[in-house]
Amino acid sequence: MVALAGTRPGWSRRAQYGLFFGFVATVATIVVGLLMLILSLAAPQSYALVRGAAMDFASPVSNALSEVADTTTGLVSGAGNYWNAARQNGELKKQRSAMLRRMIEAKAIQLENQELKRALSLRERDRRTIATGRVVGSSFASPRRFAILSVGTRDGVQVGMPVRAADGLIGRVIDAGAFASRVLLVSDRANIVPARLVRGGLPVIATGRGNGTIDVRPLEVGRNPFRKNDIIVTSGTGGLYPPLWPIARIVRLDDDGAIALPLADPGQISFALVEPPFEPAAIAEAARPEDAR
Amino acid sequence: MGRSALTPSRGTSLTRGPKPAFLSIPAISVLAATSLSVLPIISNHGWWPDAGFLMLIAWRLLRADAWPAWLAAPLGLIHDLMTGAPIGFAVTLWPTFMLALDVIDRRTMWRDYWIEWVLAAIFVGLFVVAQWQVAAWDGAPVYFATVAPSILVGIICFPIAAFVVARIDRWRMGK
Repeated sequence: MVALAGTRPGWSRRAQYGLFFGFVATVATIVVGLLMLILSLAAPQSYALVRGAAMDFASPVSNALSEVADTTTGLVSGAGNYWNAARQNGELKKQRSAMLRRMIEAKAIQLENQELKRALSLRERDRRTIATGRVVGSSFASPRRFAILSVGTRDGVQVGMPVRAADGLIGRVIDAGAFASRVLLVSDRANIVPARLVRGGLPVIATGRGNGTIDVRPLEVGRNPFRKNDIIVTSGTGGLYPPLWPIARIVRLDDDGAIALPLADPGQISFALVEPPFEPAAIAEAARPEDAR
Repeated sequence: MGRSALTPSRGTSLTRGPKPAFLSIPAISVLAATSLSVLPIISNHGWWPDAGFLMLIAWRLLRADAWPAWLAAPLGLIHDLMTGAPIGFAVTLWPTFMLALDVIDRRTMWRDYWIEWVLAAIFVGLFVVAQWQVAAWDGAPVYFATVAPSILVGIICFPIAAFVVARIDRWRMGK
């Protein structure tokens, strides 16, 4: 096939001008785009309203489709549970009785903890879940790790609020529309969570790697303190994430840190809870993702 | 860009183009592909192809007169809004690619399936690298190895986009 003729206007003066102004218009849009890009990198919050509106526009579709997807995957994985059911049942019963024993121990520890706190006259702020939503989408074609949540400002969600699932931390809200909000997942490179090791309580820093895993480094340089299957939890430092939320499990060690897998996989969880920030003053800080480092 | 300046004289069966309403089909199909980003796909990797971008490149490679080049900017704005990319990213990149393809159209003497695929591969690569760089400026400097598979996925998925575009174009031209 001969190449497309491209832009040969011939002798027509009108066509020549048309071409030229088309070119000028295109260059103008590129310049405008560049300015918009600079603005969105320098001051991300300047687009908060537009971004929220765009998410609201898409949310009914996402919500409806995600219900269909849930049902379909439920059919497939549900059938698998019947396989070898009797043996599974026995194992689960054994696990359950072990769990019950641990739970009673934990309740006793909690009681003791409350008494100790009362003795020290520490006051705990009342914490209530602000909204419960479902994860209905994600940034599946981008190096960033965002998820779309089916709750928005109408449910009380605000930019900067931490989001968790029953299994652990998911991330924090970075854009909020009326019916939907965008969550910066813990596995995003820009999400840096002050954390600590459950075993020993050593302070560590958890940084996303952009591919569903988390990079964990100790705050103090020295011997690698991690072991495989260690659990890290939020430390509450910085005031955004409340303390003692589970974040991730260490799966691999490297030179001076480790790679961890988030305990709450956004693709698996059924519900995400939006919670108030630990220290409400931190929400203004969290509104600017770059400054959270 | 160029062909839109040459409004063809209507009437004869040779110069007759599609009906005016069907001139907007390419842009609408790119919008439809962009809106695939609302699908409830929860991925831990960003390796899925950018359907809107693939459609844009496929249309432009098939037809130089699919739309005036500046129209890529509003299409890019909708892409940015729907996918959560920094606003202005595709607004800058897409019209730039249109201009680049105008230049390439002047230089290439021959065009076949493989040349189109190579061109598309180059543009998919540029798009992903730009996305990666903008993410780094936005505070998320991931390793390049994290995004490299998405270039491959985009290149492999381009023929699908080209096929869809060719079918839509055949249907559009029939009207």
